[in-house]
Amino acid sequence: MSLVVRRHIPQLIVTVIIILTVAFYYLYINKGIAESFTTADKALSDWAVIITSFALIVGGIDILRFHLVRLRKEGLKQAPFSAVTIGLLVVMVFFALHGWFLSYADPKAGITITTQPQFRWLYLNVYAPADAAMYSILVFYIASASYRAFRVRNPMALLLLVTALIVIFGNTTIGGLIWPGFLPLRDWIMTVPNTAAFRPITIGAGLGTIILGLRLLTWREVSWLGRRE
Amino acid sequence: MTYLKISLGVILAVAILVLICVVSGISWLLGIQLYSTRAPFSAFLILLVLLIAGYVFMTEAKSGKEFPVRKIPAFDAIEEAVARSVEMGRPVHMTFGFGTISSAMAPQFIAGLGVLSHVARLCGKYGAKLIATLGVPEAIATTEEIVREGYYSSGRPELYDPTYNVRYLTDQQFAYASAVQATLIRENVGANIVVGPFYAESLIFMEAGNMVNAFQIAGTARETQIPFFVLVADYSFIGEEIFAAGALASGDRETLASIRGQDVGKLLSIILIVLGILLLLGGFKLVDSLNWVWKVG
Repeated sequence: MSLVVRRHIPQLIVTVIIILTVAFYYLYINKGIAESFTTADKALSDWAVIITSFALIVGGIDILRFHLVRLRKEGLKQAPFSAVTIGLLVVMVFFALHGWFLSYADPKAGITITTQPQFRWLYLNVYAPADAAMYSILVFYIASASYRAFRVRNPMALLLLVTALIVIFGNTTIGGLIWPGFLPLRDWIMTVPNTAAFRPITIGAGLGTIILGLRLLTWREVSWLGRRE
Repeated sequence: MTYLKISLGVILAVAILVLICVVSGISWLLGIQLYSTRAPFSAFLILLVLLIAGYVFMTEAKSGKEFPVRKIPAFDAIEEAVARSVEMGRPVHMTFGFGTISSAMAPQFIAGLGVLSHVARLCGKYGAKLIATLGVPEAIATTEEIVREGYYSSGRPELYDPTYNVRYLTDQQFAYASAVQATLIRENVGANIVVGPFYAESLIFMEAGNMVNAFQIAGTARETQIPFFVLVADYSFIGEEIFAAGALASGDRETLASIRGQDVGKLLSIILIVLGILLLLGGFKLVDSLNWVWKVG
């Protein structure tokens, strides 16, 4: 594919969009133009949603391809995982299409993709609990990470441990019973040193974003384009 | 061709910036409402200063001036991580977060792609197997291109296998976390590199990498996830370092010089903070002046 199509056209689109977005965000010409910009901005966001939706189809095909290839290469070793994934993918798509069909064939029934009974049952009783379980695993990971982090190996680690203990006791009812001062001390740690540490990171990230924007404007940032020619 | 690459974007940007300066002066004199009231005028000025500063440094670098860039340990450790994985006969894993290209997380996502590009080239150089997992369907093609380019440019095209190297998992956050965790453990990865925008799934990735004793390098500009990375990873990019990593990965002198623009921003921030404190001691709130919006009449 030519360099123009693969590289210059996407770069030009990005340049124009950055300039227009910055210009219209800060500039005010008249009410009509401001409203037009808001409409155009919303349209671009809608395009992004539409493109993402189509990309999901590509993603589904990619998942299917991956598991079929793995099944062929690894056989029984991979079979349980791939069979569950492919099976549920096909079942969910089937029920979603059924719901979509019913939404046109029988609009009075009020059934859509997300309200199709089997689709909804699978979502609420298979996906949602699994998702919640995965989230809840975090608490054990936090505990094990904390255990490793709070081992006192040097003065800084001791400082970290003491601070963490104050915040933990400040957040629990037993902390207040041991010493009422834990709560105000926790509040001070969270609002003063914690905020002071976070803000430079936020400012730095903002500055980094601006400079990344400059590199995109000047066509020096090319990593997002993939292949170099 | 290099000149054209720089000039087209730059000329457009600079021309518009100069135009804005001239027109704003005239409109102020004429009492015309030129700027939107949705953002303080100071924000626009700071943006203008940073863009011009970054551009000036880039042009200076183009004319041959060298700008020293401090070492980022996490960036240097990437090569060590890849080499270690090859020695152990284990693959390298890389993921770049759950933020989408069309959201406010896009800059971090692009920074992650920059690091992926570097990792892919190193994997090609050392003959390592790379597994890039992603939870953003719109980035599948880009990721495949980046990994492909990494192996091809290193002279190892035979190592590139899109089905093995690039794995789109799902667009659901915890299903993505679960799948990445499974990949890390089943593939027994030797290095786990996670750079980009991350949410609650960050610690799941780190702990799964820890379970298989992987060499871990992590980075994000999301301040709520940075502590997890700092605690668990062997090396971490903190905040803006992920943006610098993309520039370092490019190895391009002009791109590296743009990082100097960030330093100008930091200097400006420090000056404003110190000035704000001093003026506050005198009873004047600088923040009120900085929040001033251009409003005529």
